[in-house]
Amino acid sequence: MTLAVRDGLRGLRHAPRTPFADLEDAQVVQAFLEGLDRAFDELVSRYQVRLVNFIYRTVGDRERAEDLVQEVFIRIYRHLHRFDQTKKFSTWAYTIASNLAKNELRNRSRNPLVLFQTIKRHWDADHRPLQFEDSRSRPDDLFRKRHLKELVEQSVSQLPEHHRVVFVLRELEGKTYEEIAEITGCNLGTVKSRLNRARNSFATIIAPHLD
Amino acid sequence: MNCCEFREKYSDFADGLLPSRQRSEAGAHLGTCAACRRFDAALRAGLDALRALPSVGVSRGFGPRLRQRLRGEFAVRVPLMARWSGASATLLLVATMGFLGWDLLESRAAHRGRAAWPAPAWSPSPAPLAALGAEPGYASPPRYSADPRFDAFHPLNSILVTEEANPAVGGGRFRFDLPAVWGGP
Repeated sequence: MTLAVRDGLRGLRHAPRTPFADLEDAQVVQAFLEGLDRAFDELVSRYQVRLVNFIYRTVGDRERAEDLVQEVFIRIYRHLHRFDQTKKFSTWAYTIASNLAKNELRNRSRNPLVLFQTIKRHWDADHRPLQFEDSRSRPDDLFRKRHLKELVEQSVSQLPEHHRVVFVLRELEGKTYEEIAEITGCNLGTVKSRLNRARNSFATIIAPHLD
Repeated sequence: MNCCEFREKYSDFADGLLPSRQRSEAGAHLGTCAACRRFDAALRAGLDALRALPSVGVSRGFGPRLRQRLRGEFAVRVPLMARWSGASATLLLVATMGFLGWDLLESRAAHRGRAAWPAPAWSPSPAPLAALGAEPGYASPPRYSADPRFDAFHPLNSILVTEEANPAVGGGRFRFDLPAVWGGP
């Protein structure tokens, strides 16, 4: 084996696993548009968990959230060549996700039915096997924590749909007002007013349970 | 600041977006009003609990399922692209061939049948124009055709524009007269 080949192999062995890891979103998008299909995998790995969480907090159903995130990525793949690269990719991805989540909620309100997943989730919660969460915590603390977690999830799901989207984008995804305005297609004033109402409702729902 | 005003501006207060004067007013209200203090504490505790919720990950099947769907998407796209690019290329080829053929036929006809076309009527002197009924004073370009039906610049096709005084509006106005052949004066 020549020295050059050995150097080459060593270089390959030490090459980063994902060559796009250090790149900005815009650069990864550009790489995909130039024909590097693996760049799309990088976009998926960057956004899949964030989008699933966002949609799950908005529609309240994990399996449906995964389906919708699949749809988000299919749409991104299909229309990435039309994406305005002067804008942020994350905002565009969240816009697609937000629209799909809104459609889902609208369809549900038109055809109200109890999803099997919802029943299953509640059944899972009630028949969960014994879990040793933290042996150092006191049982009443553990109970309070679990109760608070359920309470918080319920409080979010009780918010009106258009307030919930803004609330989740701000409080969980940490988006700025301007980004939320772009994602939801509302003006800044509407975003501020919806967020204020959502915070008020959330505090009103949760306050009696915290005393 | 009362409780209603505080709740209205609470979001901006929590995000630190209030102007300094209003911020100090809101802070003072929070210091004196127990109900608003409870509200503020509830929201902060609720948000802390919300942010502490475990992140929902994707299931194991998510990646393979997405990859399969993307492959399907690619498989649909490629034949479509191929079909459309094939059709476009054929169309372009037919159009190019047609244009070249037409151009060739045209140039041959121009060379062979030049004598067959009637010679253009050339009327450089004003005498034939007068014979056609042109009035003196019209500016008209040189004639290439004696037939007014096929010549837009024929004097019989000119519109006569005259300016005349109009006392009703206190100024002048233009009058447009159609050519005689179109029912003018």
